[in-house]
Amino acid sequence: MDAGFSHLDDESLIRQIQKGSHEAFSALVNRHSNRFYGIAYRLLFNKGDAEDVVQEAFLKLWDRPQLWNSSKQAKFTTWFYKVVINLCLDLNKKRKPLELPEEMELVDNNPGQDLLLDTHQKQALVDSLIQELPERQQLALNLCFYEGSSNEQAAEIIGVRVKAVQSLIMRAKTTLKDKVKRYLGGGSI
Amino acid sequence: MTMNLRQFKENLLVYGADVHTWPQDIRRTGLKALENSAELRALLADEERFELVLKTRKYEEPSSDLAERIISASQPRTKKVRRSLGGFFSELPWEFSLSKRAVTAVCVSLVLVLIIGFAIGFSNPMGSVSTEQYQTNLQELLYYEGEVL
Repeated sequence: MDAGFSHLDDESLIRQIQKGSHEAFSALVNRHSNRFYGIAYRLLFNKGDAEDVVQEAFLKLWDRPQLWNSSKQAKFTTWFYKVVINLCLDLNKKRKPLELPEEMELVDNNPGQDLLLDTHQKQALVDSLIQELPERQQLALNLCFYEGSSNEQAAEIIGVRVKAVQSLIMRAKTTLKDKVKRYLGGGSI
Repeated sequence: MTMNLRQFKENLLVYGADVHTWPQDIRRTGLKALENSAELRALLADEERFELVLKTRKYEEPSSDLAERIISASQPRTKKVRRSLGGFFSELPWEFSLSKRAVTAVCVSLVLVLIIGFAIGFSNPMGSVSTEQYQTNLQELLYYEGEVL
């Protein structure tokens, strides 16, 4: 369906979308929907919500393609990351934070205890510890560690300088490391 | 150029436990520092274990039809289903495949029935027979029946 457009770069596709080309839009969606789902899932911790946010972001682009301004925005992906992230943050504000399962909260009273948590419990623990981080630290960690973005790209997406992103990652990881050690015990990590 | 413990630790946090993926300008220094220090190797091993824990984080793949869903949702919609009362009535003729004439005839009949109904209703506003009239009618009936008997 979008074979004629698959060779075009993102910015050329956007210009075609601005002229009303649905094929160009399809090509862009096929190329990037999974990528943006990744960051949405990392921020929302829920598959259905992440898919809805990605759909909403793309439909906004289709309805108002002029929002992407080629003179201001160097790269489509950087700009669209911002769109998706803003939708995720808005949704997160409306929701209650994840809570640690009760048995894990009790463990905190015995710091340093080497626990044998199953995979599911470890996943829940890591998710909830990440969710406790300040918003920007979460963003930096998700973009750079989980999504593999460069520090420069993450800086542009978050809207800070590269040094600031590096500082955010360092603080996020240091906090997480301390908490993980406290919950899982030093020997487990 | 050398890299001390603090610098190595910072780079570990910022660029991760795989020193081979560090930016080129610090990669070689980092690897060299690692070769010469058991303490740095212990730090690296600790960071690797920590990253493994971070990678246990749950991740669900998106639905295979996500892109398809977005594309079809963006396509211009066909006629929306009317849900209003007016819409329901206006679509009735099409539901029952009635011609325009038939619909007009049904409407006129309905209006006539309504008019006649109202006329009858207004001619007898109480909606019931008065006691006086009832008694007269009863007497007439009795009188009539008596004559037959």
